Amino acid sequence: MRISRKWLSQYMDISDLSIEELASRITDAGLEVESVESQSQGTNLVIGQVIECTMHPDSDHLHCTKVDVGDEILSIVCGAPNVAKGQKVIVAKPGAKLPGGEIKKGAIRGQESNGMICALFELGVDPHLLTEEQKAGIEVLPESAPVGNTDPLGYLGWDDEILDVALTPNRSDCLAAFNMAKEVGAILDREVKLPSYDQAASQGGPTQLHVSSKTSKCPMFLGKVIGHITIKESPEWMKELLRASGMHSINNVVDISNIVMLETGQPMHFYDKDAIKDLEITVADGFEEGYTALDGVTYDLLPEDIVITNQGKPIGIAGIMGGDDSKILDSTQGLIIECAIFDHVSIRNTARRLNLATESSVRYQKGIEPLAAQKALDRAVQLLVEYADAKEIEETVQFGKTSYEPLTLTSSFAAINDRLGTDFTSDEILNVFRRLDWKPESKGEEFSVQIPSYRTDIEGMADLSEEVIRLIGYDRLPSTLPLMEMTEGKLNAAQRLVRDLRTYLTQHGLQDCITYTLISTKKKDNAILSCGQAIELASPMSEERRYIRTSILPSLLESLAYNQARHIGNVNLYEISDVAAQEGKKVHLAFALSQKLYETRWTQDAIPADFYTGKGLIEELFEQIGVQSKRVGFVENKMDTEHFHPYRSCEIQIDHKTVGLLGEIHPSYAAECEVSSAILCELELDALMDVKKSKVKFVPISKYPSVQRDLAFVIDRQLPVENVVKVIEKQGRLDKEMVIRDVEVFDVYQGEHMDPSKKSVALSIRFQSDKKTLKEDEINSLFTSIIDHIQKECDAILRS
Amino acid sequence: MEQIEKLQNEALTKIADCQNNQDLNALRVEYLGKKGPIQNLMKGMKDLTPDQRPAFGQQVNQLKSQIAQAIEEKREALAKKELQEKIESEKIDITLPGRKPVVANLHPLNLVCQELEDLFIGLGYQVIEGDDIVSDEYCFERANIPKDHPARDMQDSLYIDPNWLLRTHTTAIQMEVLEQSAPHLPIKVVCPGKVYRRDDDDATHSHQFMQMEGLVIGEHVTLSDLKGTLEFMARKLFGQDRQIRFRPSFFPFTEPSVEVDVSCHICNGKGCPTCKGTGWIEILGAGEVHPNVLKMAGYDPDKCSGFAFGVGIERVAMLKYGIDDIRHFYTNDMRFMEPFKRFD
Repeated sequence: MRISRKWLSQYMDISDLSIEELASRITDAGLEVESVESQSQGTNLVIGQVIECTMHPDSDHLHCTKVDVGDEILSIVCGAPNVAKGQKVIVAKPGAKLPGGEIKKGAIRGQESNGMICALFELGVDPHLLTEEQKAGIEVLPESAPVGNTDPLGYLGWDDEILDVALTPNRSDCLAAFNMAKEVGAILDREVKLPSYDQAASQGGPTQLHVSSKTSKCPMFLGKVIGHITIKESPEWMKELLRASGMHSINNVVDISNIVMLETGQPMHFYDKDAIKDLEITVADGFEEGYTALDGVTYDLLPEDIVITNQGKPIGIAGIMGGDDSKILDSTQGLIIECAIFDHVSIRNTARRLNLATESSVRYQKGIEPLAAQKALDRAVQLLVEYADAKEIEETVQFGKTSYEPLTLTSSFAAINDRLGTDFTSDEILNVFRRLDWKPESKGEEFSVQIPSYRTDIEGMADLSEEVIRLIGYDRLPSTLPLMEMTEGKLNAAQRLVRDLRTYLTQHGLQDCITYTLISTKKKDNAILSCGQAIELASPMSEERRYIRTSILPSLLESLAYNQARHIGNVNLYEISDVAAQEGKKVHLAFALSQKLYETRWTQDAIPADFYTGKGLIEELFEQIGVQSKRVGFVENKMDTEHFHPYRSCEIQIDHKTVGLLGEIHPSYAAECEVSSAILCELELDALMDVKKSKVKFVPISKYPSVQRDLAFVIDRQLPVENVVKVIEKQGRLDKEMVIRDVEVFDVYQGEHMDPSKKSVALSIRFQSDKKTLKEDEINSLFTSIIDHIQKECDAILRS
Repeated sequence: MEQIEKLQNEALTKIADCQNNQDLNALRVEYLGKKGPIQNLMKGMKDLTPDQRPAFGQQVNQLKSQIAQAIEEKREALAKKELQEKIESEKIDITLPGRKPVVANLHPLNLVCQELEDLFIGLGYQVIEGDDIVSDEYCFERANIPKDHPARDMQDSLYIDPNWLLRTHTTAIQMEVLEQSAPHLPIKVVCPGKVYRRDDDDATHSHQFMQMEGLVIGEHVTLSDLKGTLEFMARKLFGQDRQIRFRPSFFPFTEPSVEVDVSCHICNGKGCPTCKGTGWIEILGAGEVHPNVLKMAGYDPDKCSGFAFGVGIERVAMLKYGIDDIRHFYTNDMRFMEPFKRFD
């Protein structure tokens, strides 16, 4: 909302306040002034008269002039095509500071030039507000302009200062200057005098006009015939106010409709009476046709658009723009005034679809106070009588009515202070409502206020408390902490697990990432360990953001590719995130390892990013979470061999249920994602949160020594070493006590000097009892039995 | 006697000159062995007169222990020397780079989120999360946002169907917490989460971002309590000298509603490019929970009250670390992430 000093000055005295002071007071009270603009700028200006004007000897377009500025005569070279002898003009004297720079004495192509004759746009006036003529040359002042006057911009009325106020959605009432004035008056605690126009439209003789609405989207329509008007130029004050609001003056009648809209917030439309056949206007919808509006553009109407019709034909797009054939012309003799209420959502949709944001549509969209239509009609009639010789005024015709009921609110001083945490006195509180002109009345501890019709945002005590604090000022608000019953601040078990996982993974060199939830069809189709049927947005912003992801890895691979493309080292990434599908929400953990997790090159130490590094991360992770290793399985990947290398990947199981996938990326999928080889893992965290975890418990340390025996054998290459380990562990009981404490694989060899279908495996077995020192012969007998069994059950050939 | 003296000089000189353990052992055998000169002297005692014997014996014994001691001392000195040489030979180049453990770090948004969570946990808040997909009812209706509000248009938010959408604000979690808690008091929660808007991604907009909602409801929780709480938060985040100020604003779910500014942590409120010369930086929106919101959730707004605030995690991270483009948070460029590994 743009409101200017001149606008406000009509209603209250603000001459003692600078525009900056005014802006800051208004902002502090909740109406944020986004910018302060001067309509024009320039110092050291004066009104002068061109007393001599000749062509410049060395130019085909410059003129040499002599300009009388009252106390001296200045020689000025002027480039404007319209400069002529006798004109009254605006002169910027040497030293003048203009938006384009400072004016200095000098010479132009050899001719003395001690100043500049100015066009308005050179003085910072918005060219949009100027005529073609004004934009093409210097400003020519009326003959009556006083030579020597040092305030030519003030003389012309181009000296206004404008506040651009950003209104919150609850305060669209301030789109009306009258309401804005009331608000500013309350903020400044100043008396506001608005023009009196009540009942101005109640006059009128009998009428033939008939207005109605066939759509519920127009609940009320006021129409009025003004049989005679005179079209002429608007008075200066009206032109200036329009200009300050960024609008052009057209003629007195059109200007009145605009001024009234600016004053009351109610858009209105004036039709040329002679263009409306049978004096019939009907609001309707259901049209689907092209319609040429008053801007000459043809718009495609859809059935949901509200349309103003005459004899079944559209004559305007309701609330947005009128029609060409019924617009006010210089020849217009009489008017029909339309003042209606339209459904703001419908106006919003139509205006947006047609890309038509007019002053009118903007106001309708934001909502107009219930009594504005009547106020606007009264004010319009008043101004038409005064400035357009309105005669033959007919009575107002009304379709429908507003549902407005006056509102009186009652509250207590204590309730206000309780909500705010303040201790304002009853007088301070009442004073706020007096400033607002809400006619407060107090009765003991309670008070009541009358809410004006335009403050539709005020519903109850909470709203009253806001008025109090914003007008008294937030600097009076104390700073305290809530006094209440003790509460325990905490994370729940799932949140703690996520934190622990993050610590674990980052400490092992995996970078925490966040990628987008919304993904493309391609990523959706490449879901890994998908949590179900992907959900599609009803109207996605783009193909890239069409689906809600059901797995993290495709997004993480994009981040991996991004980093690899930039040759960034140490790209090992993980993300913990919700994923969602039609079946419900899950929490997933995913990681992608592409570089050594640890490397010092000169010492040749490194942890490679391979399957076993990935597996080790998971094994240790499960151990730390408390999932017993016997419940965990890494089994052949039968689930997804499209994205994983079929022979270098596995399903991760807990109690034989697959909860994750781990392995090397399939070379084809790697190529598709534009990443080099990587180890991928996607894990369902819900499964880890739900799984029964072993408690942290003290284990007595055996007092007896342990004995280690090594063993090497050759087995079939395809035989998993885990099978051999299981066979060994089965032989570990001595007197019912499990005395094999650890079986460690310390070498696996396949290659030279080895049958290609075989591999050599070396294991180290640690024996220990909690009850006694194991005797040599006891260990020997266990060891022999182990060797027997692996030879039989695993077809192993002993090497040592 | 002369013989003893000679022997003494000779032995001690040899011991002193000895360079290694082997030679030292040889000297020991040579002098102190059964066939050595000292033993010979002892044997020669029988040739002396009885009255000469005690004095002689004493002298020989003295010589013997003297030599033994000298050998032991030499042995220690040699061991010491050997160790010294060994240590000297083990010298390394301490300027070569160390084996640094590779550690990564939290994403800056998760970092800020955890920091906020922790500071509110310290004040007795619980952390509550919700689903990204919420009903229109909880996202809007319960937040006092009317049906005809632009955000509720299918075109303006990321809807899945007419009743479900990706949440546009973490206020949706707050509404669920309220309903699930009713009629119990007090409520003290913070609700972090991802939120989604129909915005094209650019330096200052992201269709996905993170918020944290705070909600406190009790019998008597005031707007000044909100101010104190946010002051505490601002100081924890941006330093003990920070001030905050409230500016009136509007949100459908709070009344009064405020925008909260914190005094600029870069220039200390003097005015700089970060605060656009104003000395203040807007960090969040907040207010007293609207009575309609409490009523819809099943509370009596005459018997309880409370405040809510919503802070943008990206906004805080950008201010705290001076990040100039919101898209950095979602590209996961390792070069962007690396500095956040510092203990802070």
